[in-house]
Amino acid sequence: MLGITALVPAEVIYACRENAVDLNNFVPFSEFQPDDKLCAWSAIWRELILRKEVEVDKLVVVAGGDCYNALVDGEKIELSGIPTLYFIYSFNRDIRLMEENLDSLVEFAGGIKNEKAFGEIADLKQRAMEIDSLRTEGKLSSIKAFEIEISGSDLMGSPDKYGKAIEALEEEDVDFDYRVAILGIPPIYKGFHEFLQSIGLHVAYDEMPFEFIRHSGRNLGEVAESYVNYTFAGNIWRRMEFVEKQLKERNIDAIIHFQQFSCHHKLEDIILRERFADREGYPYITIEADLPGSTPEQARLRLEAFAERLAGV
Amino acid sequence: MIIGLDVGSRAAKAAYYTDSYEYRIVSSHSWQDLIDRDGIIVSTGYFRKKVPHELNVTEITTAIYGVRHFLKEDVDAIVDIGGQDTKMIDMRRNDFRMNDKCSSGTGTFLEYIANYFALDVSELQNFHFRAKTSAKINSTCSVFAQSEVVSRLVEGYSKEEIINGIHHAFARRIAQMLPGNARMIALIGGTAKNKGVVDAFEKELGVKVLVPPDPQVVNAVGAVKYYLATERDG
Repeated sequence: MLGITALVPAEVIYACRENAVDLNNFVPFSEFQPDDKLCAWSAIWRELILRKEVEVDKLVVVAGGDCYNALVDGEKIELSGIPTLYFIYSFNRDIRLMEENLDSLVEFAGGIKNEKAFGEIADLKQRAMEIDSLRTEGKLSSIKAFEIEISGSDLMGSPDKYGKAIEALEEEDVDFDYRVAILGIPPIYKGFHEFLQSIGLHVAYDEMPFEFIRHSGRNLGEVAESYVNYTFAGNIWRRMEFVEKQLKERNIDAIIHFQQFSCHHKLEDIILRERFADREGYPYITIEADLPGSTPEQARLRLEAFAERLAGV
Repeated sequence: MIIGLDVGSRAAKAAYYTDSYEYRIVSSHSWQDLIDRDGIIVSTGYFRKKVPHELNVTEITTAIYGVRHFLKEDVDAIVDIGGQDTKMIDMRRNDFRMNDKCSSGTGTFLEYIANYFALDVSELQNFHFRAKTSAKINSTCSVFAQSEVVSRLVEGYSKEEIINGIHHAFARRIAQMLPGNARMIALIGGTAKNKGVVDAFEKELGVKVLVPPDPQVVNAVGAVKYYLATERDG
């Protein structure tokens, strides 16, 4: 089993006949409180591995572009004897850097043995994109869509399992008052999307989970060309252009910027607020989390008040 | 009767309305004492969903309704200083901000300072106005501020001058939350009864500060007004 953190091209791992597991998926359900931490996400998956609560044979750490805290947490795991690869995204869409990183990933995962996996996973991600369209049209709850999209990072440990999870979904009428976007890091809290739905906020655009299903390719070259456009790892101006297009296409009413304590992306809040709240006029709220757990009362209060403000009561 | 019930982190407040208002305030842990009579309960505050209610609404919304009840002026912003957090509602942009990560800029910070000087928090204002000058305090982190207080005492500043300086530091901390174009604000919550804080706000922020006659019950009254505006008539 090959552990990955944040977005690593899983199709490459499966084409090497390895299985991927996104270590972040364990974090929201963990009650462990690490002493030595900046970001809770990387500190908790680090401890889960070091304490052998999650077993991986090798680790691929996204250590540049998307997440910087993970670099040192990856080094601590490497020190424990687990082979570790550091995957670096290009800040300026440098295709050569992406190709070099993909070549390293292929070598690390033992070489490509199943070229067909690229096409099969590209098809799966295309179906996941259709799920995303259903949520945007209000024909699928954002809770169910989130599960599929966030699982696009490791395909639930098995492309077959992921395909069955998509197949099992059925269209439904979703009742909501407002269409919101979540920008930034996915919430570390359990039940966040459920809470939003309970107060009439439908997440019609989930920035980072959407990135997890948006990138694919039918060969290594196409994978490089796609993932080099991973917005969350690149410069913020390109990211904001992409986000703004999504906000308009999806008729978003308001923005929730979710940020994580000690994450460098937290510093982007003022840039996003100026662009989308001050310039574009979107109602905008920032929610910051630290440790995992249920969505705390302070965050619930803020979001309920946000919904009340949207209603103009 | 309509009962506006505001159960916050430190105090529980009730506004009883039939054709006029009556108020009661108790500790949060004794909120049950406030519902000793029949009526339609509209709850607000952190515990709004944990107490009996026919309708619940956040204290952001009740602050707006409550301030409009008490003040005839259109304020630019409402600052609600609670025990656990401080909320700033930008009335022009229909936006709000909250400081709920630490005690900095909340009523708890002033209680901490009052405890240090072995005073009741209600006494701070008397010391504030007796100060001949103001000791410069930079921090509103409870721990760092206490360290600064000790340094100022060693330097020879009086208790009055330090408390005055604490109020100014407190006002500067909250000023960071205010919209830049605010000219007139409403200050609500129990801390608004501290005239030293109001004085520091006006001097530090250069804004006109309006304090409703009963600043601690504004949200309880706002809950009643919210019900009257949205439910009874709707």
